[in-house]
Amino acid sequence: MNKISIPIGPHHPLLKEPLSMIIDISGERVLGGALRLGYVHRGIEKMATQRTYVQDVHLIERICGICSHVHTTTFCLAVESLLGIEVPPRGQYIRALMCELERVHSHLLWLGILAKNVGLDTVFMHAWHDRELALDMMEGISGGRVSHAANQIGGVRFDLSTQQEEMISINLVKLKQQVSGVLDVIENEPALLARTQGVAPVSAEMIKDYCVVGPVARASGVDVDMRRDDPWPPYDQLDVNVIVLPEGDAWARTLIRVLETRESLRLCESIMQQMPDGPVAERAKRKVPEGEVITRSEAPRGEVFYYLRSDGSDKPARLKVRTPTLPVLSLLPVQLSAIHVADIPVVLAGIDLCVACADR
Amino acid sequence: MFRGIFYLLFFPGLAFQVVCGLAFEWMDRKLLARFQRRVGPPWYQPLADMIKLFSKEDLLPEGASGVVEMLLPLLSMSAVLTAGLYIPIAGFTSFSFEGDLIVIQFLMSVPTLAYYLAGMASVGIYSFLGGGRSILQYLSYEVPLLITISGPAVMAGSWSVAQISQSQVSMGPFIIFQPLGFILATVGLIGKLKRDPLDIPSASSEVVGGSLTEFSGAKLGFWYLVMNIQAVVGIFLLVNLYFGWSNVALPDVAIGVFILECLLMVAILSAVSAVFARLRIDQLAGLGWKILVPLSLVQLGFVILMGV
Repeated sequence: MNKISIPIGPHHPLLKEPLSMIIDISGERVLGGALRLGYVHRGIEKMATQRTYVQDVHLIERICGICSHVHTTTFCLAVESLLGIEVPPRGQYIRALMCELERVHSHLLWLGILAKNVGLDTVFMHAWHDRELALDMMEGISGGRVSHAANQIGGVRFDLSTQQEEMISINLVKLKQQVSGVLDVIENEPALLARTQGVAPVSAEMIKDYCVVGPVARASGVDVDMRRDDPWPPYDQLDVNVIVLPEGDAWARTLIRVLETRESLRLCESIMQQMPDGPVAERAKRKVPEGEVITRSEAPRGEVFYYLRSDGSDKPARLKVRTPTLPVLSLLPVQLSAIHVADIPVVLAGIDLCVACADR
Repeated sequence: MFRGIFYLLFFPGLAFQVVCGLAFEWMDRKLLARFQRRVGPPWYQPLADMIKLFSKEDLLPEGASGVVEMLLPLLSMSAVLTAGLYIPIAGFTSFSFEGDLIVIQFLMSVPTLAYYLAGMASVGIYSFLGGGRSILQYLSYEVPLLITISGPAVMAGSWSVAQISQSQVSMGPFIIFQPLGFILATVGLIGKLKRDPLDIPSASSEVVGGSLTEFSGAKLGFWYLVMNIQAVVGIFLLVNLYFGWSNVALPDVAIGVFILECLLMVAILSAVSAVFARLRIDQLAGLGWKILVPLSLVQLGFVILMGV
């Protein structure tokens, strides 16, 4: 059969964010694909050097619409370590709580997208319905569903009231029940298993060659998780179970995210139990002393890496952000070979794209 | 003559089929929504969608043939409407002759072929892919479906839907004798209607809109209408073949029972589309030829042996 090139993106029902792929197919077989990036490049790294540190927190929140909190947290950690200030324990715990809730909401959102891509709209609707609970919690705490504006340099901007703590505990129990129902479907639905099991497997060696991190790496048996490997407080006091699956196929990537959602909910519960009293933020100076620093944290999609250099003024001299999506994107053309056309949505969903993160 | 025109335009022809199509679509959407924890659309939503589609601007991509694009949905529409005329509705038969079951099967295949041609006639790559997939899917479901629905015909000793329905009065509803056949025919019908989980030719995440990607306005509206009427005819056909007993045996409540049976079919189709993920085309071909065809042959053999 003749070779045909089909364009996927920048606008396609499959994609939630702009990204362009030209995929070569022959009949129903995929021969290979080429990728084009940069549709949502906003020059945030450069913009950050033109604003003060205080303004940058709000700018960096806009890097991603899903994992906005972990970006500001990592940035604030970098600035705080240059300033030499320590966030009060209660502030640290609230930060971690938001991080975990964000992971829950990101993973459930992702699960919905995968289900939609394989034509299982019921799971899509149910996953997004459950995700509303996580969003409600975050909105109840911070006032924002997507951009929470929770962080400031030196801590967080708000405290939790007793009422809010109760609301979170109730919703966590509810969410846990819902997630175990979803897990049951993922493990047993025959058509879903047929569509994902054995599809586009990636070996652990390949993951290491391409520097892939996060759930995709863990689904291929690579044991990395910044919450355990390089923890910032309070993760060093929390008992993080890193879930690793050996299969490396699309099904393992599905299952691992549901298992991680459950694990995050458990972490949220222990954060709520251990939540100390006291202030939530420390006052920070406007000017940051000269120096450079690297901070890392575990975003829902894997390791987020910040490099910050200060020249002693109130604006950063250089900010470099490395997000987990870019290495996964470089793995994409490799995965898009010798599969069926119908597997393209599964493969694309499996890597959990965040194009806005990758382009910045 | 006037009677014939009434049959064609009103009952059981155009008007009746369109109303049933919209009603079934609403039922299906509402049920699916409830399965998915949504509220679902109000009753007039399918009608509103149709009115909106018909009033929209008709766009024609460069290189595509407007005549062909208009003819294909009209051809499919006339085929499915004609098929609908031969099916008894709650015992009321307008046209019938020995062998109309085969004619219905033939006419019901026309939309699939037109869908394939629509894909080939469009200039877009997604339409081309969708069209190719629709013919592959046709080859997978049509054979088991044909073998399966010859089961009731063999049992009744007639190839007329009205006769099959009639003969169930003495023999009892065929679903009791051919439950496997009913399941297989339902799977075949889902394939024919390109419904989730066999919506492979029009899977939005893979081929955008399938063959219909480049259709717009009234032409797209016609296509949706064709699919709705196809669903109505398919459901009526299965109800007659497997529950036909109630049409004749219970003359007083035949209409009510017929409606209930149709709604049951709609509910089955909705539940199946809510529960299963879409299959890949190679998986469907495997399902069709490795599982459905042998099972339908077993069912047919069983029916023949019972007759002997």
